[in-house]
Amino acid sequence: MTDDLTEIADKVIETDVLMIGGGVGGCCAVAKAKENGLDVTLIEKAHIDRSGSAGQGIDHYEGFFTRDGTTTLENVSNEDWRLGRYGVRYPNLNVKYRLYKCQFWVFEQLEKLGVPMRWDDGEPYWIPFPFVGWERRKTGLRVHWTNIKPILGRAVRRSGARILNRTMAIDLLTTDGKVVGATAVNIRTGEFIVIKAKATLIATGKLMRLYNPETPMPWKYKFRYHFCPASSAGDGYALVYRAGGDLVNMDINAWTFRIRDDLTCSYGSFSLNDGVPMKTYTWDGEEIINPNATRYKQLEDEGKTPIYFGFDHFSEDSHKRLEVAFADERMLSFKVAEERGFNPKTHRYELQDLSPTGFYRVSGIYIDENFRVLRGNEPIEGLYAFGDGSAGGTSGVAGAATGGLLLAEDLPEILKDMDEPEIDISQVEEHKQIALAPLAVEEGVEPLELESAIRDICERYVGMFKSEGKLREGLRRLGSLKDWLGKLSAESPHHITGYLECRNLLDLAEVHIKACIERKETRGNYFRSDYPEIDKDMDGKFFSQRIENGKEIIELREPIPLKPEYLKDAEEEKAELQTADAAS
Amino acid sequence: MYIKIDMATCDGCKICYNVCPQDVFTWNEETKKPKVSYEEECWFCGICWMDCPERGINITYPVSIS
Ligand SMILES: Cc1cc2nc3c(=O)[nH]c(=O)nc-3n(C[C@H](O)[C@H](O)[C@H](O)COP(=O)(O)OP(=O)(O)OC[C@H]3O[C@@H](n4cnc5c(N)ncnc54)[C@H](O)[C@@H]3O)c2cc1C
Ligand code: SF4
Ligand code: SF4
Repeated sequence: MTDDLTEIADKVIETDVLMIGGGVGGCCAVAKAKENGLDVTLIEKAHIDRSGSAGQGIDHYEGFFTRDGTTTLENVSNEDWRLGRYGVRYPNLNVKYRLYKCQFWVFEQLEKLGVPMRWDDGEPYWIPFPFVGWERRKTGLRVHWTNIKPILGRAVRRSGARILNRTMAIDLLTTDGKVVGATAVNIRTGEFIVIKAKATLIATGKLMRLYNPETPMPWKYKFRYHFCPASSAGDGYALVYRAGGDLVNMDINAWTFRIRDDLTCSYGSFSLNDGVPMKTYTWDGEEIINPNATRYKQLEDEGKTPIYFGFDHFSEDSHKRLEVAFADERMLSFKVAEERGFNPKTHRYELQDLSPTGFYRVSGIYIDENFRVLRGNEPIEGLYAFGDGSAGGTSGVAGAATGGLLLAEDLPEILKDMDEPEIDISQVEEHKQIALAPLAVEEGVEPLELESAIRDICERYVGMFKSEGKLREGLRRLGSLKDWLGKLSAESPHHITGYLECRNLLDLAEVHIKACIERKETRGNYFRSDYPEIDKDMDGKFFSQRIENGKEIIELREPIPLKPEYLKDAEEEKAELQTADAAS
Repeated sequence: MYIKIDMATCDGCKICYNVCPQDVFTWNEETKKPKVSYEEECWFCGICWMDCPERGINITYPVSIS
């Protein structure tokens, strides 16, 4: 078997654990799994030192520390969290429970990896919470993490794991429904690689690139996303979907304001920075509540736009703190602001429009609390996922790091009874043929052109305000775009990345549109112009989608409730907190 | 050109070429210096600019987002 494989592949690797994606989550998982004595291989599309959404820096760690945190286990177990008007936020509450339960352990683990968890005075800097009555509780940490990725990269190198940078996963390998590794391609050399693994872990980031970036860019410059584009093509979602795993909530994507100038950099930290929220204004200076999509539309009709975010009410001290946050998270923002003559003390940030963005937090790969990828109600053997791409609260640095560390702790036990993986050679051949095809296409189309067309379909036919006719027309047009995949050419292996990303985006756009066709209601920021009311029968339910025996399955599901023992824990904690509150 | 390398300042350390998350740079074996080859894929993260030990990279923005 191996002889045949080496004839097809330029490189064959056998390993216990294959980690796909070396972002925050992937690096944490790899370092910990090595510490636990496993043979680990990491493949990363870019380079672990600066890859992923944390590549340019991070300014806060939203760790949701329980007990001392604003988010208590009671909140985790609270029905409102999942049956809210936005649809189902957490398809499996047990995942959230496990993350919350171990935050102080994660704090220690990250420190052990060399990540600075403390502020300048050597103590953790708890972000002040801007609401009265919660001051006693701790939310997240302000951190100086410009270099979190080089630090984690060093930890991974020190661990002795096998690292393959500039190596992009093509597809998962399956045998009898189990996942037994993956195929990959080196995007600089075109080398085709097969990795045979007992456990395959996915932390490839979010899906953003079905919609335009938050900072609109002119002409061919299309990548000014808030999150790193390399980790926003939804590669992991597509890999899981094609291997028979479920994606959930693919109709409920996030939405955001597009910010006119590229000064979104520390956007996340604006309100968190110092516990002082920003203010929102109409163009003529009227202070307003941050609008939702319906209200924003009204403001447009009333001639009140553009609207702005402002920090001009900040104290001098808060402005200084904001500057530190900018430096921690995205140094380039200083340069951009300075060159434009933009000063947040006197200028306000223009919000361009409210528009759909990425698929994360609520949407993505369906997992259980052991990070196993689910197919219907059953886990797929050998396949795990966490981080930004998994649905149900494993996103953000805290979610990604915690997911990776927890799973790596479980792996030795999981792998103990696992058989040696068997590879189906015909799958390997097929993957190779797919991945290297554009190298042979002469005078074809550039991947970026096809990607723009896919995005155009989502913007125009799905967008914020949906209807049956538009969705069906979008689906039809998407179908005809598929032929273009074979016309893409790669002048060098570099372009294989864009080509494979287009392949993934095409699949995911289809999943997205089909889910939107099924949800015939208006709820939260999900708008169907032809179904303007909430459909009560959809309360507390969500869609999952997968491929089974070549057929697309879409199912309506209910969230997996908190396990009784977890619920008991939450009740005990609530009682303890009440006693502490009464005493203070 | 929105990503500009000052070839006189660059000492060929390869850091930008190694770390750029979008693989914007290629390596010129003759000059032993980086080359900006896929600029339209840049996401303006600023990583090359901040990690270049020689401060040899300058980033400006495309015209219509000023
Ligand atoms: C500007 C900015 C500021 C942020 N600030 C904060 C903050 O202050 N606090 C916070 O909690 N979060 C913040 N975030 C979000 C945070 O960075 C992410 O939630 C976190 O990095 C997610 O980790 P991850 O491991 O899931 O994904 P990522 O860190 O994005 O890593 C995914 C990795 O997978 C690789 N990859 C993708 N596809 C493939 C493939 N096919 N094959 C191989 N490799 C692949 C990517 O290159 C990438 O390295 C911020 C993000 C940005 C962009
Ligand atoms: S700004 Fe970022 S994406 Fe652009 S060339 Fe530099 S490192 Fe690469
Ligand atoms: S990081 Fe700077 S010095 Fe090093 S190769 Fe790039 S431009 Fe040259």
